[in-house]
Amino acid sequence: MIYARRAWIVLWKDLLSERRSKETLNALFFFSLLLLFLFQFTLGADRERLVAALPGLLWLGFILSGLVGLGRAFLAERENDCWEGLLLAPGDKSAIYLGKVAGNLLLMLLVEAILLVLFAVFFNLDLAAHLLPLAPVIGLGTIGFAAVGTLFGAMTAHVRARELLFPVLLLPVQVPVLLGAVKATEAVLLGEPLAAVGHWLGLLAAADVIYLTVGVLTFDAVLEA
Amino acid sequence: MPDNWSFVFAAYALAALVLGAYWRRLGRRERELTSKGASTAPSETSPRKDCAGKAGARTGGASRP
Amino acid sequence: MSGLQRGLGWLAVASLTAGIVMALGVAPREATQGNVQRIMYVHVPAILIAYLAFAVVLVASVIYLWRRAAGADRLAHASAEVGVVFTGINIATGSIWGKPTWGTWWTWDARLTSASIMFVIYLGYLLLRAMIEDRERGARFAAVLGIVAALDIPLVHFSVYWWRTLHQPSTLLRPGPAPMDPTFVVALTINLVAFALLYAYFLARRVRLLEREEQVLA
Repeated sequence: MIYARRAWIVLWKDLLSERRSKETLNALFFFSLLLLFLFQFTLGADRERLVAALPGLLWLGFILSGLVGLGRAFLAERENDCWEGLLLAPGDKSAIYLGKVAGNLLLMLLVEAILLVLFAVFFNLDLAAHLLPLAPVIGLGTIGFAAVGTLFGAMTAHVRARELLFPVLLLPVQVPVLLGAVKATEAVLLGEPLAAVGHWLGLLAAADVIYLTVGVLTFDAVLEA
Repeated sequence: MPDNWSFVFAAYALAALVLGAYWRRLGRRERELTSKGASTAPSETSPRKDCAGKAGARTGGASRP
Repeated sequence: MSGLQRGLGWLAVASLTAGIVMALGVAPREATQGNVQRIMYVHVPAILIAYLAFAVVLVASVIYLWRRAAGADRLAHASAEVGVVFTGINIATGSIWGKPTWGTWWTWDARLTSASIMFVIYLGYLLLRAMIEDRERGARFAAVLGIVAALDIPLVHFSVYWWRTLHQPSTLLRPGPAPMDPTFVVALTINLVAFALLYAYFLARRVRLLEREEQVLA
């Protein structure tokens, strides 16, 4: 109970500071808009081609904005000299991890919702019909991404070349999540039932459980000093 | 199916090359360490001294001409 | 100490020589693929020993986080490096094998793909180690990454396998040996032992080097 409250406090702190500054969210909104432009310019105006590549483009958008967002996850603590505050927090440090994961998850889901709307509007797609089966796919994929991203973000916060190292470490580890999410999204957008991609959803769920467990167990070692 | 011995030899040669390169790299680093360990054993703050030495050499070189 | 290491090295060289003789001379010509199949005797042992190396990284990382023994950290570091070298050999020989059998240097075959993802993950691991100056912090972070990476391998394996095989039958493209003549098995086993000895030799030398590096820098 106290554990959940500790995680909640970390989450609340991040939400509050984000609500007051709106720093990350504004930048990410702008970034997603730019991504849409990029996709449009690089793939041309051919709508057929865009639709064919849509699952990949969607997740490319999610991943790129996620990289930008998650890379900043521990920057507030780092830049404002609040790292000691995290260290001095009483009790199990993994509560901090779970709070941070929840915050990053919310942030990413928000950006993903924005991206979906932008895709639907700019590329004239009817995504609303697929929204219900799409939700678990996006949810499971994003949890895995946020779980590892938060762990690695805490690690690379201390490194000089953090902007470089963070994606270099995160992207290869996320290949299974990316493959599963793209394949499941593709099937859902083609109108197949969720049961047809059950094995991919199972893989995503397994990945989420593994990543979260490792994160909870090892975060103590990451946070130290 | 043709025999493609050239591909077989290329594969074995490449594997030998990679292993040999790694072996030599280990050897080189061991030798480097031996000479470094011998030269910096008396002084305690070797990295700092290295830096200072380099900076000194650079400025010295620049002021000489 | 060093004598043992040297002995291990000579043992590895001797068994590698035996392995090459077996692979190129004694083992019979494979029926469907011809002599090009002989690449298997380096290709397969390399990846199997790489898996072993990464398993060692996992165990050593767990021990390091648990006990904070510097020896476990050195073992993980050394094993990852040797594992990357062996994975690189596997990918390179696989590519050379692919040219005559598939007609292309690279194809996104399930096994080649998962080997190359593993390669990139552990390259990142070595990069992380190289980029953190504080030794103790680098050891902690690398241990966390070593655990995540090792647990990621089965996920990578399954996802890539499904990704490739749900669309095309991979049995057509798979280069593995179909019927196993006993001589094939003997040759493969000898090469596997040779690569294991080579791994042990490199590992011992790299661990010793890391020990000395720390002594010099301390």
